[in-house]
Amino acid sequence: MTLRIRVNAQEHDVGAPALTSLLDVLRDHLNLTGAKKACGRGECGACTVLIGGRPVLSCLTLAGRVRDEVLTVEGLGPEWAALREAFAEHGGFQCGYCTSGQIMRAVALLRDGLPADRDEARQKIRYEMSGNVCRCTGYNGIVDAVLAAAP
Amino acid sequence: MKQVGRSVRPIGWQAITSGTFAYSSDLKPDGLLHGRALRSPHPHARIVSIDVSRAAAMPGVRAVVTGADFPAGVYYPNEGSQDREPIAREFVRFVGQEVAAVAAETVEQADAALAAIDVAYEILPAPFTIDDATAAGAPRMHQRPIKLANVARVYKRLWGDVAATRAAGPVNVTGTYWYPQQTHICMESNNTLARWDKDGTELHVWTGTSAPQLMVDELAEMLNIEKDAIICHEAGVGGSFGSKSRISEQEFLAAVLARAAKAPVLVSLTRREEFATTKTRHGFRSTLSLHADDQGRMHGVEGTIAVDNGAFVHSGYSVTAAGLKGLGTMYRFEGIDIDAQLIDTCKQPGGQFRGYGSTQTMYALECLIDDLAEKLNIDPIDLRRQNANQPFTTSPTGSQFQSVRLTECLDAVRDAIGWDAKKADRRPNRGVGVACGLHSSGSFGPDGSNRADSAIDIFIDGRVLVRFGGADTGTGQKTILAQIVAEELGLAAEEVEVLTIESDRTPFDLGAWSSRGTYYSGNAARRAGRAAADRLRTLAARHLGNGAIHLEAGKAVCDGRSIAIGELVAGAPETKEGVLTTEISFVEDAVHRVDAKFYGNASGTYSFAAHAAEIEVDPRTGKLRVLDYVAAHDVGTAINPRLVEGQIVGGAVMGMGSALGEEMIHEQGRLVTASFINYAMPRAADLPEVRTVIVEGGDPKGPHGAKGVGELCITPPAPAIANALYDALGIRIADLPLTPDKIMNALAARDGRVRRHHLWRRPSQWWTAFVRWCYPRGLFALLHRYGPVAKRAAAAASPALIDAPRVVDAVAALASGATAIGGGTDLLPRMEDRIAAPTSLVSTLDVTDMGGIEFAADGSVSVGAAVTLAELAAALKGRCAVIEEAIASIANAQVRTMATVAGNLLQEKRCWFYRNDFDCYKRSGPARPCYAVLGDHRFYHAAIDGHRCQAVTPSDLATAFAAVDAEVDIAGRDSARTIPITDLYSGPGEARLQASETVVRIRLPASAMQRRGTFQKLNLWEGDFAVVSVAMTAFAGPDRALADPRLVFGALAPVPWRARRTEQWLARRPGATAQELQSVLGEELNVAAHPLSKNGWKLDAAEGLAQHAIEILAGSSEERSKSPAA
Ligand code: FES
Ligand code: FES
Repeated sequence: MTLRIRVNAQEHDVGAPALTSLLDVLRDHLNLTGAKKACGRGECGACTVLIGGRPVLSCLTLAGRVRDEVLTVEGLGPEWAALREAFAEHGGFQCGYCTSGQIMRAVALLRDGLPADRDEARQKIRYEMSGNVCRCTGYNGIVDAVLAAAP
Repeated sequence: MKQVGRSVRPIGWQAITSGTFAYSSDLKPDGLLHGRALRSPHPHARIVSIDVSRAAAMPGVRAVVTGADFPAGVYYPNEGSQDREPIAREFVRFVGQEVAAVAAETVEQADAALAAIDVAYEILPAPFTIDDATAAGAPRMHQRPIKLANVARVYKRLWGDVAATRAAGPVNVTGTYWYPQQTHICMESNNTLARWDKDGTELHVWTGTSAPQLMVDELAEMLNIEKDAIICHEAGVGGSFGSKSRISEQEFLAAVLARAAKAPVLVSLTRREEFATTKTRHGFRSTLSLHADDQGRMHGVEGTIAVDNGAFVHSGYSVTAAGLKGLGTMYRFEGIDIDAQLIDTCKQPGGQFRGYGSTQTMYALECLIDDLAEKLNIDPIDLRRQNANQPFTTSPTGSQFQSVRLTECLDAVRDAIGWDAKKADRRPNRGVGVACGLHSSGSFGPDGSNRADSAIDIFIDGRVLVRFGGADTGTGQKTILAQIVAEELGLAAEEVEVLTIESDRTPFDLGAWSSRGTYYSGNAARRAGRAAADRLRTLAARHLGNGAIHLEAGKAVCDGRSIAIGELVAGAPETKEGVLTTEISFVEDAVHRVDAKFYGNASGTYSFAAHAAEIEVDPRTGKLRVLDYVAAHDVGTAINPRLVEGQIVGGAVMGMGSALGEEMIHEQGRLVTASFINYAMPRAADLPEVRTVIVEGGDPKGPHGAKGVGELCITPPAPAIANALYDALGIRIADLPLTPDKIMNALAARDGRVRRHHLWRRPSQWWTAFVRWCYPRGLFALLHRYGPVAKRAAAAASPALIDAPRVVDAVAALASGATAIGGGTDLLPRMEDRIAAPTSLVSTLDVTDMGGIEFAADGSVSVGAAVTLAELAAALKGRCAVIEEAIASIANAQVRTMATVAGNLLQEKRCWFYRNDFDCYKRSGPARPCYAVLGDHRFYHAAIDGHRCQAVTPSDLATAFAAVDAEVDIAGRDSARTIPITDLYSGPGEARLQASETVVRIRLPASAMQRRGTFQKLNLWEGDFAVVSVAMTAFAGPDRALADPRLVFGALAPVPWRARRTEQWLARRPGATAQELQSVLGEELNVAAHPLSKNGWKLDAAEGLAQHAIEILAGSSEERSKSPAA
């Protein structure tokens, strides 16, 4: 079947079976390989993208049910350059495999806003980002990066 | 500007943070095929026959290979063990071993072909544990030179003067410690893309490797081709932690499938394969005695160690040896006497893992040192300081130390954690602990270990490229090489490019393992950089004269005059095609392979560390929380402090993972913890920030004084935390990980608490008790071996997705066989696991009457079935704490955004046997066993009311809803009914719904918004399913009374379980204390429960959670706020 889907401000018509995951559509049909399939079953967060601004796991999202616009790491505008730099500056990644997912989760979190108190903000980042597994960094660097990018 | 010592951003950060950095599985060459392996379902069997003819003829299939396609005598080059053929030929020795492989145009076609391969097995008895394998009469797994069955190697290590040690050290402490198998779980699973060019004579590979040249050597040996016929290409490597430093099975499979199919083949392991078939850390059981004199001088250690090898030797020989060597080298011992055995078991094999054996042995040693400190009444830090190695000495094991700053590390953690103050000012249930470690900076392993080469190309446009034969798996290897070379050439690190992996373009380097990247590759780069700089200065002298020339900002400069580097390159006679190349070889002569007695100096220098942890235990639930963690490391000079910190923190967290939750649990040889949700590794909220201290100071031999850091950081966390636990509660738990069950059991034993269930008084339990009694006495073995397995439903080729605007449409679709899908977070994984095989799906998300949350005038609330958890939490914010808290504890933000209320209520049981491919009673038919009865049921199985199946209803929302008397509206084709939530379940995660029925709305009565309530949950990691949970609500009555209370437990029984007697008691007892509640509830639980052999502790934890809950409800939050579960 043909799916019409809007990704990173562009319309696409994709020919794929009805139950194709959004992740497969992004990676295999649109060649957007930033989102990773690190488990394919909703347990790691590496495939996180935003749909209508909200963070979802694209591996468990049926592309045929997506109504709102999809934003992937490749589509982040210059307003998120500081966040990307903060990941580099604060040790927010090592191997980089979880990073696209971490950044997309962080984008949604920063849009929602963090508490002004830094300790509370750290706790909130840790809690809210617990769906994004990272095996390399031990999370310090990710928390520091997100905090540094907060307005 | 100095380039060394700068926290330069990692090379490639722009690509990584924009999602364009390509890993092997991101490459999509034309005509790509997908390779998949058929794996043994048996832990030990003889292959009687394999027939691939059906598979070979299936659509899309382009190649099928089996062991018969390779000559006898081809083995994985695993330390010369010659025990594992590339694909099993005659015997399989673990569940998951490759039996055949297929390449097809799509993954689905490949999987379909695997299912069509007919293999006949003769099942053989299988030893699973060290004890099984070494028991008298144990079935032998391999024909090895050693007479003893299942012993792959024996070790006798005597260093120094053992007799004198015993004499000199009259004080001794002894203990047996178990460090379990742990798995790396790189976020990028093992992926390899292979393609043959030039008529099948040249192999190109893109693969996750940390040691490309070693991998190429090993692959060439197995394929019996020349090394230079294999070219390994650069691609991202998504983590290694040791796992990718030798050849991996998928590298061989991709190569042979691509050869057979004459097309590029990608073999990409699924996450389950990654968990269940890749190599693990070896499990070590160490029984050690530590000898000391009464002044605290430790003289030596002796003991025995048994190492669980798994099915094959993959570095098991050297991992065991390294563990012994580390034990003998850590402190200033005089004599060491250890006997060890490497034991074969029918499980996925052990392999190389960060820490490499010494993580395991050091755990035992560092715990014993604390026992010794207690015995001698010496402070644990002082005791370690007193025995710390000193710089420029030689250990009895032959290690020649250069810089050593262990004492400084100990002082640093003492200071940073506030050790003395915390030891003096004791807080209940809190403790501090310390532990140390050491690691080589590149041990002598395979030939060439003590050598690294480096090449630098300088182009006429002034560009500089460092060519490096290893890889960067995320450690920052590329970046530090750029810094080192930039320092010599007077450039900024950002201006230097680094090429890795490309095996035909990079010079000799065995890659990143044994923490050798900084020492070897760094030393090579430094020398190459210096040579290139010298050459540039010589060339510049012709232009600038003989004054002092220095390199700066891409120019050679002398007395204010300068010339661009590119111009020098253009004018150099040896410049070829516009490139001036400098290539050097660094060989460390002072190291050698250890001798037959394992004596010798295998590393150029050694790194040391001390870590300290402050922890708190909730004695009511057994939950251990790390409150503060400090890691002090002697790394010499930090070339890039941020990257060093990153290594330390990442390693420490991985080490804390094994301390607190990570373990590979197998049942009948099959991995139970085969997914992220079953493998309790730390999530961001599970641990505090790790604080690092880099103890400054150079090393005479490291490049710019730097030493290795990657591995050492994983060793101290487990003993530091175990020591802190002992400090807190006086309980010593020798078997990692320190999970709540062990802590609760140890506390019960310490306090002499025993639960009595008086089963003889409860005839209703007799039958279950009898069956459980029969299980270990033959019944289980019978059902496991002979119980017929019902055929699993084949997945429909391409299920349709049906739109349903209204409930009637949805119900009609259900009646015609469709399956309802809400968020899909449970159904889609079940479909992948073939637990569900729907022919069509009807989406509930667009059904109008199933959406929305309505607040009625009477105060009641109606919640649409397809409302997401996040929406419900937002709507009830500040109105209904028990539901809000329950939702906040479910999974994670993404899942809460996607998952629906009805989907949560109706999700299937999460029993880790059922979900991880066990042919159990619920999954594969009535004559199959329940694997939980004898298997690991400590966490996720019922302690009350379990019958044939021990699973529980996993929905936390169900528990919370039951505590507010929620009701469920159900619609069917010709029915509509409303039932209490507690009537929804007939069994664990099993709903009383007809085929055409669906949950339409949830009704929360007005009282739900008036009740005070709380939801408390014990689990193993943030977002985990409940091990036990409690939802407690009541109306606030006069005199601190809890009117009309509800006390509902989740994950304790197959369905949410109300403690009705305790509720009645509570209603009559205003101001009941937590203590009183515990004793009343305890009695009720004793009468109701029928726990399995190892989950009775959940009843204690349930009481503990209830105590927390009543304190919260009663508003006595003072006590509460101090508790770690808060
Ligand atoms: S790949 Fe989607 S959650 Fe892991
Ligand atoms: S950076 Fe490697 S998994 Fe997060």
